[in-house]
Amino acid sequence: MRRHWLSTGMAAALVAFGLAACGSGGGSSASTGLQIWEGYTGAEATAFKHLLSEWNAAHPSEKVTYLFVNNDNSLPKLLTAVRGGSQPDIAYVYGSWAPNVAQIPQVVNLTQVVQRSGVNWTDFWVGERDVATVKGKVIGIPALVDNLAVVYNKALFAQAGLSPPTPNWTWTQFMADAKKLTNPAKKQFGTAYVTPGSEDTVWHWEALLWEAGGQILNSSNTQAAFNSPAGLEALNTIRTMAVTDKSMYLDPTDSEYANLFNSGKIGMLVTGPWDLSGFPNVHYGVQVMPSFAGTNGGHQTISGPDNWVIFNNGASRVAAAEQFLLWMTAEPQDTYFSLHTGDLPIRASQEHASGFLQQMNTALPGVDTFVSNLNNVKQARPQLATYPKISQILGTMIVSVLLGKSQPQAALASAAQQVNQALASG
Amino acid sequence: MSAPAIPIPAAAARKRRRRLPFSPWHLVLIPATLVLIFPFAWLLITSVETSSEALRFPPLLTPHHLEFSNYPQALQGAPFGRFFINSAVVAVTVVIGNLVLCSLAGYAFARYRFLGRGLLFALIMATLMVPFQVTMIPQFIITKWLGVHLLAGVGINHIGALILPNAATAFGVFFLRQFFRTLPIEYEEAARVDGASRLKVLWRIVLPLSGPALSTLAALTFLDSWNNFLWPLIAITSTNNMTLPLGLATFQGAHSTEWPLLMAGNVMSLAPMMVIFFVAQRYFVRSVAATGIAGA
Amino acid sequence: MLAPVAALRRQRRQPATRATRHRDRVRASEQIAGWSFVTPGVVIIMLFGIVPIVWSAVMSFQQNNLLTGNTPFVGVSNYRQMVHDPIVAQAISNTLVYTALFVPGTMLVGLFLAVAMNRQIRFISVYRTAAYATMAISTISEALVFIWLFDPSYGIVNYLFSLVGIGQQPFLNSTSEALYVIIIMTIWGWTGFAVVIYLAALQGIPKTLLEAAAIDGAGRWATFRRVTLPLLSPASLFLLVWLTINALQLFDEVYLSTAGGPLNSTSVLVYYLYEQAFTNFNFGYASAIAYFLFVVIIIVTAVQFWGGRRFVHYRS
Repeated sequence: MRRHWLSTGMAAALVAFGLAACGSGGGSSASTGLQIWEGYTGAEATAFKHLLSEWNAAHPSEKVTYLFVNNDNSLPKLLTAVRGGSQPDIAYVYGSWAPNVAQIPQVVNLTQVVQRSGVNWTDFWVGERDVATVKGKVIGIPALVDNLAVVYNKALFAQAGLSPPTPNWTWTQFMADAKKLTNPAKKQFGTAYVTPGSEDTVWHWEALLWEAGGQILNSSNTQAAFNSPAGLEALNTIRTMAVTDKSMYLDPTDSEYANLFNSGKIGMLVTGPWDLSGFPNVHYGVQVMPSFAGTNGGHQTISGPDNWVIFNNGASRVAAAEQFLLWMTAEPQDTYFSLHTGDLPIRASQEHASGFLQQMNTALPGVDTFVSNLNNVKQARPQLATYPKISQILGTMIVSVLLGKSQPQAALASAAQQVNQALASG
Repeated sequence: MSAPAIPIPAAAARKRRRRLPFSPWHLVLIPATLVLIFPFAWLLITSVETSSEALRFPPLLTPHHLEFSNYPQALQGAPFGRFFINSAVVAVTVVIGNLVLCSLAGYAFARYRFLGRGLLFALIMATLMVPFQVTMIPQFIITKWLGVHLLAGVGINHIGALILPNAATAFGVFFLRQFFRTLPIEYEEAARVDGASRLKVLWRIVLPLSGPALSTLAALTFLDSWNNFLWPLIAITSTNNMTLPLGLATFQGAHSTEWPLLMAGNVMSLAPMMVIFFVAQRYFVRSVAATGIAGA
Repeated sequence: MLAPVAALRRQRRQPATRATRHRDRVRASEQIAGWSFVTPGVVIIMLFGIVPIVWSAVMSFQQNNLLTGNTPFVGVSNYRQMVHDPIVAQAISNTLVYTALFVPGTMLVGLFLAVAMNRQIRFISVYRTAAYATMAISTISEALVFIWLFDPSYGIVNYLFSLVGIGQQPFLNSTSEALYVIIIMTIWGWTGFAVVIYLAALQGIPKTLLEAAAIDGAGRWATFRRVTLPLLSPASLFLLVWLTINALQLFDEVYLSTAGGPLNSTSVLVYYLYEQAFTNFNFGYASAIAYFLFVVIIIVTAVQFWGGRRFVHYRS
């Protein structure tokens, strides 16, 4: 009896294995169609699929199929595929990877492509173009743009008797507001900061550095430049809130701050438009970043654009991929995408398209401020292959100061020294 | 309780004194179980919350509005039926493959003396000692090569590529070798003297005595295969061939995750594993014949 | 049963040529049997296990950023870089501390619960399934729950602490406490595994042995120490080896919660090498770290098996 059961089981396994081996969809991605790897979920996924089906209906000979690849894991998957010679035709690539991804031989050089008539390359926000270009070579077409601004809880402001932030506010006011909004008895904090030590920690601070009139590196990208009065002011600002005023909630896992804000426990957040849909329970307002009085940084902010990158799987596929992407990022399609997802428009001209901002704001209140805030994006992070190393050094510096483990002046000096070493050996 | 007239052994006296209506072990097991299932309870509760109630911190354990429609909604975003079948085919085949191949290999390592046995076992154990993040690229290239030169069905983007590398695992070989060594060898020797072939000894004598170990191996291998994420992520390049964990990842975006849907998906993914375990549990109870050796 | 066994023994002692030839045939057939039994499984394990490992060893002597096919041979410079890298030293220390606490912790908790669950009382299937559920739950859910439980401001642990007068702890915001939170999280996650293994092993202990001990007057604790534990030693060795191998390669929980922080206090070796590979594009260096870890694991495992020879009692 047991024998029959076991041998039947083995036979079944062999059959299943055989079926699986032979039967699973005659091979990989459609050999004629293009494959695009992206990590869209929720509303973005729905809008994207809609546009895809629109394209596929109009271009039956150049069908595009998508593969969902969660963005957190997309780099290992992409690099493995590249090394194995199985790269996709198009992939969604984080902007921070651009300087390194540009070195992949299969990545297509789009410098001439974006100059074609009708593309209107300069219509893309300057922050996007900066991140899509590595050493003068255009390696991607902008897929997403965002920026940092301040989202605040109107109810908490009213409760504390504070008037809401104005477009010309300063960091001194931000700190004072944060202090007033902090209430230990109610476990309420004025603001929050993410402290995993990753780029998320760093780019928040770089915005302050720029607002204080400082720079990350010198103009030739050979030396650290953040060890300056501007850097000190930027670092001292967050340090005061974290260590002295204790008005800053520190989130070491990058997973709590948004839900905390949505639960009314945090007064102000420096964050981007992607978080807005996560605040259904709060009446929030959006304001530009504060400025530092007496500097020329203004209300500058930082942007984190991402790119569509094309991989060379043959001339005809590259041509089809270029055609598809130029269509996807053209004004009508991007308008559709922005209106249905709340993502910022990737083309500057859309900001002034009639009715556009109102429509976006109806769907997602406060996003219009983020759109116009794109005009405050004046520069991008250094497009260097060694930037990840610089980011880690800066991340350690910031977390160490926020946890009260080092003094800002010494931390800046030490970090500058390490960055110079990394730049020299990089 | 009156004193007994006849003196009784100490153990029986202890039993008499404890007159609780239930076993005192419940007092240990209930709190332990609560601690063990607490995250699971959170998972269940989140899976029936509306997204606005899920977006709270600290998490809300008593939602005001139960959203059971999360379950059908979770199934709509992607072809989950297909993912389920893929996961099931892979898991079942891997389990059967492991039960057969690891029994054979584990038994040989436990009982037979052959040249190179020690070195071979060490090599097998060594495969457990390098993290997958480093071996995945060579594994990808090997799989692609096999798909081109051996059989298309085990190459990249085929279910076979998820089955073959795991059809025999060092874990299974190690586990069964340890287990087989605990069995009294006399039964097997006697059967050999009676003229049984080695295969028959394994099949007729050893495996029937190995119920708990085999069902444990089956349950653990099934769990591992069902939850396997990284290799399917690397190896599968079209939606139709994705497995459940890859399918669940479609709820996790770069900046925002649809937690209630993801948790609903997780619960639905867990259910088959729970069923498997419940079924396998009954085989944990050993057959009566194995409870003792005559005279030993 | 004893007669045929004794006959077999008598046969072996005879130096006669017929018996010798029989013995050689038996040994030769045992060689063939051994190899034929192991080959199918071994081929699969070696192809997908050893080949990638050798390949990765080669990569550790190269400079490889995974972007181009240009991977020049750089000798031992990756290994030399490791020696001078202060974070590697920190990662080694974190990994060892983690392993030293996680492995015994999980084994003890698992043993205790398995003993508790090794009885036919009401609801026993529910209790056992609860243990299994901890293995089935996804790591992301596990991480989120523990991040919440240990949140300094809003978590339950600090709330309980405040009830008994212990001060509020920073937990994941503290370089000295974060690793312990990860240890507790992972002990919870692996308890189910230890319970399942020990339960299977407990089921294999013949009741006659336990009854014999009881009749001889041994108390429950003495029986446990003298009879049960030694009979569980094969399972204990298995768990010790398996948990150690996994602990030294900890990754998921760190990746999903602290990202190695704060300030590298939870950066374990596999997390650090992943960061080197896929954030810094330094795959040659990552391979070298993986190899170093590989050697450490081999040594530790070998020591455990060697110690097992003395302390483990197989019943045959």
